[in-house]
Amino acid sequence: MLRRTFLMLTTSLAIAGAASQANAACSPDYTGVTLTVASQTGPYIASALKLGADEWAKKTCGKVNVVEFPWSELYPKIATSLTASDATFDLVSFAPAWLPDFVPYLSEMPKEMQSGKDWDDIEPAYRERLMVWEGKIYSQSMDGDVHTYTYRTDLFSDPKEKDAFKAKYGYDLAPPKTWKQYLDIAEFFQRPDKGLWGTAEAFRRGGQQFWFFFSHAAAYTNNPNYPGAMFFDPETMDAQINNPGWVKGLEEYIRASKLGPPNALNFSFGEVNAAVAGGQVAESIGWGDTGVIAADPKQSKISGKVGSAMLPGSDEIWNAKSKKWDKFPSVLPGPFMAFGGWQIAVPKAGKNQQAAWDFVKTLTSPDVSGQAAITGGSGVNPYRKSHTANLQLWSKIFTPEEAKEYLGAQSDSINAKNVALDMRLPGYFSYTEVVEIELGKALAGQTTPQAALDAMAKEWNRLTDEFGRAKQLAAYRAAMGLPPKN
Amino acid sequence: MMRNDPIKHVFIWPAVLVVLAISIFPLIYSLTTSFLSYRLIPPIPPRVVWLGNYVTLLQEPRFWNALFTTTLIALIAVGLQYAIGFGVALALNARVPGERLFRVALLLPMLLAPVAVALVARMIFNPTMGPLNQFLAKFGLANLPFLTNGHWALACIIAVEVWQWTPFIILMMLAGLQTLPEDVYEAAELENASAWQQFWGITFPMMLPISAAVVFIRLIESYKIMDTVFVMTGGGPGVDTETLTLFAYQEGFKKFNLGYTSALSFLFLIAITIIGVTYLALLRPHLEKRR
Repeated sequence: MLRRTFLMLTTSLAIAGAASQANAACSPDYTGVTLTVASQTGPYIASALKLGADEWAKKTCGKVNVVEFPWSELYPKIATSLTASDATFDLVSFAPAWLPDFVPYLSEMPKEMQSGKDWDDIEPAYRERLMVWEGKIYSQSMDGDVHTYTYRTDLFSDPKEKDAFKAKYGYDLAPPKTWKQYLDIAEFFQRPDKGLWGTAEAFRRGGQQFWFFFSHAAAYTNNPNYPGAMFFDPETMDAQINNPGWVKGLEEYIRASKLGPPNALNFSFGEVNAAVAGGQVAESIGWGDTGVIAADPKQSKISGKVGSAMLPGSDEIWNAKSKKWDKFPSVLPGPFMAFGGWQIAVPKAGKNQQAAWDFVKTLTSPDVSGQAAITGGSGVNPYRKSHTANLQLWSKIFTPEEAKEYLGAQSDSINAKNVALDMRLPGYFSYTEVVEIELGKALAGQTTPQAALDAMAKEWNRLTDEFGRAKQLAAYRAAMGLPPKN
Repeated sequence: MMRNDPIKHVFIWPAVLVVLAISIFPLIYSLTTSFLSYRLIPPIPPRVVWLGNYVTLLQEPRFWNALFTTTLIALIAVGLQYAIGFGVALALNARVPGERLFRVALLLPMLLAPVAVALVARMIFNPTMGPLNQFLAKFGLANLPFLTNGHWALACIIAVEVWQWTPFIILMMLAGLQTLPEDVYEAAELENASAWQQFWGITFPMMLPISAAVVFIRLIESYKIMDTVFVMTGGGPGVDTETLTLFAYQEGFKKFNLGYTSALSFLFLIAITIIGVTYLALLRPHLEKRR
């Protein structure tokens, strides 16, 4: 009897020991927990979420189910779920511009996540601006987005091309400092008979089109003498989208559409990347994905020949207060944080909030996010200091010269004093819808740039009045990092 | 069972309640919402505006443009579907060799999901990588702006609609043709009536009731076109290909402007009802002649 009891005790201890060993492998232990994340259709972002999910599963024994929706469907899906306060999603990945609409339904980031080495590693443009709404943190950046310039170094360094360019335009062929130079270069390389075109940008409605237009306009409207006045007057909330700076931006955007491959009007960002990687264009603007895809020999015909720079700028910027052009002693680069990088947040209605924030921690850790950033097609661009500082990491895809230019363009853009922030405002889709419609008309030549912009401004002012001018003004000032108006 | 037997209530009321719950109440709720200014995002408390949404919509050029675009797509697409569908049905009815194979092959487009068809069409019409432009380039023709020019985009949408839904007309018309009495044609043959005379004098009039029904169904369905346009053009360029349902979707599920969208839905319902009633009124004399 005594022997049997001893045997049972030993067996129980052995089982308990094995179990505790298994649990020790899961830290923290989320065995049995399955998180559901809403994402846009892969590979962009969804593949990065899956990479994070695999790491998190190894660490915590929990599971992550990534539910994908086409880009145009993501906002309505998330908004419907949040406003209904259902627990369909434990996490939602979205554009920073949608944050004002979603904030009432999101949980705040745990305080312990808002400090430490990993926290300080996030670039201030994200940590202190895009992740903040009315002084609180509801979301975590999982991608860094700023528009930069990409060009073919083989064409730009060709002595024959250089001489011909200088003879025609009177200055050296180099990454452009101004948008005029950008258009000159596009015009110079426009050679349809040789399968080469000037530039590629997104022009299709619903194809990330308006961010490319905003990038052109940022150079003429983001005035450091009157900060935060790019989209609206931060004193009155009057729309600024039809001022002379925007008109100039739109005229140049339309001109760029005529210096691209045939039917560039149907290009979304995906087609831009295909055109660049296919060696069809001499230059382009867009998010960091362009450089990574173009450098990847598996996806690109121009790998090893990819140059990067900041977006062109201007030495004349419209002042929305004085209603005059301000002249600057030199050209100010015009970086624009288009879109602002994907963010991830935890809905208040979620049933696994602790686990969900733990997943965010793993997903956005320097190691996991660094791996995603160097994976072409993950959609993740640098947003941590460690992403751009670690040249070794990038040597897997870039040549040293390519890496230096790419990381330099990313870092300089994000940290530029005059970096323009994207619009973030409640009712975001209502504001951007009219932009898309009128841009389509202006690009098709159905209306003049001024008339298109006037129509946008009229609708923006009407929407602002409908949503409440004071409320919208407060939100806009918060989005632009301006103090509340007394 | 007696006419006044109370048991009848047990059978009738569940059905009445189901109809009320799934059809009448949502309609009433939607009608009520159409009199409100009501947005979910940004959240704005509902405010009664009575006919305000309807007045705004009727003054909105975008609404009239969507109505015109939808009507254009529906009329041209259904007209072509009917003409081609009837023609093919006549050919199949004439028992051409391999008729069974044709019948199955011609029905395939109808069995595909419209979203899948639209995706394939978008690839075919792709300006740079699409096979259609590549084919045209082989003959030295310039790339055509299939989906980036308003007129071309509309033509492409109509072409896809015709390709996908003509089989439905073929199916229905073929079924109708096979029920026509043989003896009438035998009599016409004896009178030396030509094939053309037989068609206009016998086939077409006898097929008129089924034609009216088939065209009516397709017309109503075409007015509800959404997925094809959404995938192929997204309503663009500008709003050149925006249909009423796509307009309602943008307002309801992108901007969450619920009051306005409800009013739009009711205007859509009114428009379809007017079109349906007019269509039937125009056809009534011809159909009554057949009785």
